[in-house]
Amino acid sequence: MLKFVLKRIIYLIPTLVLVAALVFLLIHMIPGDPAAVILGPDATAEDVASVRQALGLDRPLYEQFVVWLGNLAHGDFGVSIHSKRPVIDSIGERFPVTLCLTTLALVFALVVALPSGVLAAVYHNTNKDYLFMIGTILGVSVPGFWLGLMALLVFSVQLGWFPSTGFVAMWEEFWEGLRYMILPAITLSLFMAAVVARMVRSSMLEVLRLEYVTHARAKGLSEWKVITKHALKNAFAPTLTTIGIQYGMLLGGAVVTETVFSLPGLGKYLVVSIYMRDYPVVQGCILFIALVYVFINTIVDLLYGYFDPRVQYS
Amino acid sequence: MFWKKFLHNPIGMIGVIVIAMNIFMAAFAPVLATHNPLAINVAQQSEEPSAQHWFGTDEFGRDIYSRVIYGSRISLYISLFSVLVATFLGVAIGATSGYYGGWMDNIIMRIMDAVMSFPAILLAIGILAVLGPNLSNVVLALGLVYTPRFARIVRGSVLSLKEKEFVEASKAIGNGDAFIIFRHILPNCTAPLIVQATASLAYAILAESMLSFLGLGAPPPAPSWGNILSDARNFMMDNAMMTVFPGLAITMAVLGFNLVGDALRDVLDPRLK
Repeated sequence: MLKFVLKRIIYLIPTLVLVAALVFLLIHMIPGDPAAVILGPDATAEDVASVRQALGLDRPLYEQFVVWLGNLAHGDFGVSIHSKRPVIDSIGERFPVTLCLTTLALVFALVVALPSGVLAAVYHNTNKDYLFMIGTILGVSVPGFWLGLMALLVFSVQLGWFPSTGFVAMWEEFWEGLRYMILPAITLSLFMAAVVARMVRSSMLEVLRLEYVTHARAKGLSEWKVITKHALKNAFAPTLTTIGIQYGMLLGGAVVTETVFSLPGLGKYLVVSIYMRDYPVVQGCILFIALVYVFINTIVDLLYGYFDPRVQYS
Repeated sequence: MFWKKFLHNPIGMIGVIVIAMNIFMAAFAPVLATHNPLAINVAQQSEEPSAQHWFGTDEFGRDIYSRVIYGSRISLYISLFSVLVATFLGVAIGATSGYYGGWMDNIIMRIMDAVMSFPAILLAIGILAVLGPNLSNVVLALGLVYTPRFARIVRGSVLSLKEKEFVEASKAIGNGDAFIIFRHILPNCTAPLIVQATASLAYAILAESMLSFLGLGAPPPAPSWGNILSDARNFMMDNAMMTVFPGLAITMAVLGFNLVGDALRDVLDPRLK
């Protein structure tokens, strides 16, 4: 088991280096001189030269990359051009908001997807199943951020159930903070709920046809036990991979959701930094979110073995 | 056989009708629109829907109905071309990687994995942040982001197909690599590619609307659905209808491709049904 975990972590290293390399190269895709683009048309030649030096752009590309990678390894994500603060500090302040949002969205998605997917499989090819399929196809077709705008309009502005402006952190005042998070989390979760629910349905359909399920029924187990204890555990393994992949949709979607609901998370920070051409922050935010995504998918891989013991820890 | 099955699939046919409506809307936008989508009219700012302005007007007095109609052009243009870019690059990369194998395959596929390690929309945001927002950059960004999905599918198919006897026979009679790839291998990967392309068209429409909403898509005053929603956000209280229609238009466009994608998957790969 330990060997498997170590092996998985070692496999992670080249992926992390390549992810970092792509983010590093991003800033070099800026047409023209990045320093001049960052400073705008009114900058003096001296300013441009100092920004070039500060960003290390005056050195050869490979040297820049090695230095940048070395800094990353020490947790140095660079310094914001706008606020002059270390990027990692600003990320640290804003990431908890994004984490709360995506975690709540994940919970909402699973609460909806697991039971509905199981029920659709149990009632396969009945009206309930068809209704479920219509619901999931709408779920993957409706843009979450538009639904967010509509929810804001109806539940916050018209009905006044939820606040439409401001923000309270959940870790400071849990219940009040939750009121600010419910609408964004639900609208963000919709797409993932639909994708995961479909996966649960199709994996359950596959598992329910297998002989061991028939055997469990023949033993006289209740249908509830057959489904929850025998079928669902095995059907959950492929679902888990889908959840890992879809977490990326949550992280990406959070950028738009945070903008719609004006939540002070990492996504909103990224968007504001793009408008301000604060490229070290843009680089830092994108890299950080990608690292979180890679990390979550590694955990998913490690958990996979629990749900599907056929996966050998070797 | 394929067409017969597809034509008998009600879900697919509904999807085809929805897509056809969308294409019709884009092709005949000048006929269907009642106003110039860019014409500013300060005397009619933020108006509710009326006989003159069916979906109302925005903060510049522009007719929202006409903007939504013209928006279908941008949405279809970007989705179609970004998926074409992704398919072209994906097929080229996947076929080369899978056919030649070895260290090149290893390096190429690790790069593809790294691209897939980013949430798709986030990478597109990053690319557009540096390249600047305009239509061709959105096509390029989304095309690059979706490339690995196509590359993986083609590589997988090529890996299994290149061991087949008909490929060996073709080699034995002296056919070149390019001929074998284009003539014998690629035609056998079309089914999964079509399914992937249809799904990607739906994703691309959603992604384009998100990017435009963030100000990273078609630059204003272009009437893209995401732009209209972005404008609407600031004036929602005055004219709620301004938010409703562009969203419905996006939903319908995405729904069409999703329905056809589902039907194609059922027809082409019955195991997944």
